[in-house]
Amino acid sequence: MVDIELKRDRVVIRLKDKKWEWMIEPRYWRNSILWVALLLVFPAVAYFISPGLINTMISANLLAAIALPMQLMTLGTGRVNFGPNFFVGVGGYAAALLSIAYGWGPLATLPFAILITLFAALVFSPLVVVARGLYYVLLSLLLPFVFFEVTIIYTDIFKGDTGLFGIKPLLDLGNARINFLVIAYISIVIMVLFLLVINKVVKSRYGLIMAAINDDEEVAHGIGVNINKVKILSFVFSAGMIGVAGWFYAHYFSSFAGQTYLTFTFMLKIFLAMMIGGRTQVFGCVVGGYFVAFLEMILIRTMGPMQAVVFPVILIILLFALPEGLFGIYRKRRYREYFPTIHVRR
Amino acid sequence: MWVYIQNLLVYTFVLGSIYLLVSLGFSIICGVLRIFHLGYAYIFPVTIYVTWMFLQDLGWSLIPAIFGMVAVQFIIAFLIYKGVIKKYLDKELEMLVALLLITVIIEQAINYQYPMQTGVYLQTELIKGTTQIGSVIVSTQLLIGSIIALLLTGLFVLFFLKTRTGLAIRAISQSIYGSQIVGINVESLYIFTMMFVLVPVMIGTLIIAPVWTVDPQMGQLYMFTAILVAVLGGLGNLKGTIMASFLIGAVHAVMCFIVGEPRFMTLSALVLVMIVLIVRPQGLTRSESLW
Repeated sequence: MVDIELKRDRVVIRLKDKKWEWMIEPRYWRNSILWVALLLVFPAVAYFISPGLINTMISANLLAAIALPMQLMTLGTGRVNFGPNFFVGVGGYAAALLSIAYGWGPLATLPFAILITLFAALVFSPLVVVARGLYYVLLSLLLPFVFFEVTIIYTDIFKGDTGLFGIKPLLDLGNARINFLVIAYISIVIMVLFLLVINKVVKSRYGLIMAAINDDEEVAHGIGVNINKVKILSFVFSAGMIGVAGWFYAHYFSSFAGQTYLTFTFMLKIFLAMMIGGRTQVFGCVVGGYFVAFLEMILIRTMGPMQAVVFPVILIILLFALPEGLFGIYRKRRYREYFPTIHVRR
Repeated sequence: MWVYIQNLLVYTFVLGSIYLLVSLGFSIICGVLRIFHLGYAYIFPVTIYVTWMFLQDLGWSLIPAIFGMVAVQFIIAFLIYKGVIKKYLDKELEMLVALLLITVIIEQAINYQYPMQTGVYLQTELIKGTTQIGSVIVSTQLLIGSIIALLLTGLFVLFFLKTRTGLAIRAISQSIYGSQIVGINVESLYIFTMMFVLVPVMIGTLIIAPVWTVDPQMGQLYMFTAILVAVLGGLGNLKGTIMASFLIGAVHAVMCFIVGEPRFMTLSALVLVMIVLIVRPQGLTRSESLW
């Protein structure tokens, strides 16, 4: 028999020898399933109220889907990568070029986009071993710009100035609104999948090793951690995940331009999704992604061209006002945090 | 062949000197404050557009407009130091993101007020026309700019080597705590440095304004060059900065006049920096001090 007992702050459910507890106050709701259910309901509700919101939700999911692996990369390498958009570019261009050249659909381009991103990450992975501090910041910052330069130089291939067009769409169900709705669900699935995988990794023994690297590389090496292996694996694995977001962008918009994804502005959005959400919290990336995407949409709708100025102003105020990010308001207890600092000053 | 060599030499000198002017400030900030001033890009459009604002919208003449712009630049630098750099001196990630955001805010505000299609032309041409050196024709403005760049760099070096303030700044670049112990007011010198480094950038921007393209996002490319020079030279060492500026100038000149592919200018400089960093991760010179 199910026995339900109401206590002062929680509901206790007992079934034979099993017991579940549910906190009544919403701020203690740690159950991820509840939030995922909310995310799943949102597009369906938006479909009837304001279909435009679905588009913003897709952007939010994609921002979170880039910020999440970025968080893992930062944690695992002990360094802050200032060019995560490079891998968005690699994944996006790989999917776009294959789709245009061979007429491949999204399912056919996906494995290649991941493989090419993994390969690119593997090629640049020695950076996490040889460069540290500001040098790593600089080199990672330069990567998307180098790639953008290449797309401009070889404009006959990459169409760096105008962007690539004619990429096979992600879905074609015959109805634009239903397309949007299904694409929104695909973006949620990708984001939630990333969230689950990364959360699992961070909480595993592997996450503990990453935290050790973050605290002190030399000490971690001293206690027998193969730091280079962990750093390279985290770098390559996270890059592959970011590449999936690039693939999604290419097929979602049926176009891909370096001008949009390989610039400061896009890189900043990823960073802000990570930092305003809560820079040391995996779940914070989702909050940050949604906040940045929805704030931008609201400002575009209400302020027109002025939003380009107001948007970064609001973000910088929040950066100052919320040192622990939006997720910091939600959580009540401060956990031990592992996040690399860019040690430069003597 | 001789024509190629002449072109190479003249443009290495001209481009190297201009790059030196553009990146001197960035290098000094790297050396003294030990940070990457990712907000450096805002200085270039502010120089152009604030001068233009005083000239066009307020009807000032050129010289007062330039002084007005200098005052605005000093105020912005002071506010950035007090509001961001001082606050986040130990939290580099927040600082770098905040500095980038400030650049975006300033660029977008300028773009809102003076969109790219608005014609902006500053009459800061010192001498019009071109000059022929051997068989090479070069803009006289750029040539004069190169000479000014070298003179200004010389003055900066003299300032750092011969004055007490310069000595104090060099001491800070070596050790902040050590300089505090001997009684140096680190904070006031930080603010001074933040303002002092604006001088070569503002002069450089005003010199190149009538010759090269001007738009609200122009600063990003110059900051990009400044970062390359600073890293190649060894993060904040003036000797290294001078060498790196001319080295990148030479690479650009080779790409333009020997290879004949100006498209590869930026890419070639990047490849050079990456190769040097792999061979000598500390850059051309050690970044232990400013000089």
